[in-house]
Amino acid sequence: METNEKVLTGDESLQIISEMINRTKVNIRQGSFHLLFWGWLIFFCSLGEYLLVRLTDLRDPWLIWLLVIPGVFVSLIYGYIKGKSSPFHTYADMLYMWTWMGFMIAAIVLFIIISDRIESVAPFILTLAGIPTFISGFIIRFRPLIAGGLSFWALALVSYFAGPAAAPLAVPAAMLTGYLLPGYLLKRKVDHEAV
Amino acid sequence: MRPFKELDPVIHSQLRLAVISLLTVVEVAEFTWLREQTEATAGNLSVQISKLKEAGYIDVVKKFSNNYPQTLCRITPLGRKKFAEYVEALKDYLNP
Repeated sequence: METNEKVLTGDESLQIISEMINRTKVNIRQGSFHLLFWGWLIFFCSLGEYLLVRLTDLRDPWLIWLLVIPGVFVSLIYGYIKGKSSPFHTYADMLYMWTWMGFMIAAIVLFIIISDRIESVAPFILTLAGIPTFISGFIIRFRPLIAGGLSFWALALVSYFAGPAAAPLAVPAAMLTGYLLPGYLLKRKVDHEAV
Repeated sequence: MRPFKELDPVIHSQLRLAVISLLTVVEVAEFTWLREQTEATAGNLSVQISKLKEAGYIDVVKKFSNNYPQTLCRITPLGRKKFAEYVEALKDYLNP
């Protein structure tokens, strides 16, 4: 940009505005970490519980889910550190972050309310998880994540209507389609753009 | 023919327009990031940011992060309004 005050034409002004706005892409670098971290954690917990129930006599196989507690702290600390080091924050970044925070709070509340009243919370959590996944796909303009959100809802239905044999596998399947696949695709996209 | 609206002279400048365009999208931006995006010199960017601040279009906060000085810029509601008016006036010029 020149030091002297250049007289701009209307077209030049418009070009400057367009170019600058195009440079402020949503800061999606963090997005792939959280998708992959939670995808693998929930996949491990859900498949782990299923295998513990099927293959062992453990009394409380659900205790494997306690791994989620440190997972929450890891996720929050990572997000905080990365957020502080970023030189800018777009409104879309804030929307993205608070969408997921809202889901986390709602999931905890839902679990507290219904976990001892019904046999499986999976259909309800999957239905809820589909919302931020679906919306995030639109915020960052990433179709695999939109598809991931839709897969959560489809697998919520599977989880609800399928028999006891198939239902416990809906959650790990949802992690593959809703978090891990979009997460790896997003990571590849970000790495490619960085090059 | 209806008269054209005057383009705001505070915004109608290459570097100031670039800065305020960036700040309409981001919630807050560091000086160094603005310099990278606009490819301006630190001195020139500093002058233009001061002009935008004097007009009340942006807020500038200086603080320390990890013992390094950090300058953060944010568009004000007035700045947002004036930028919207500028874009509307620009449309008149481009589509009379």
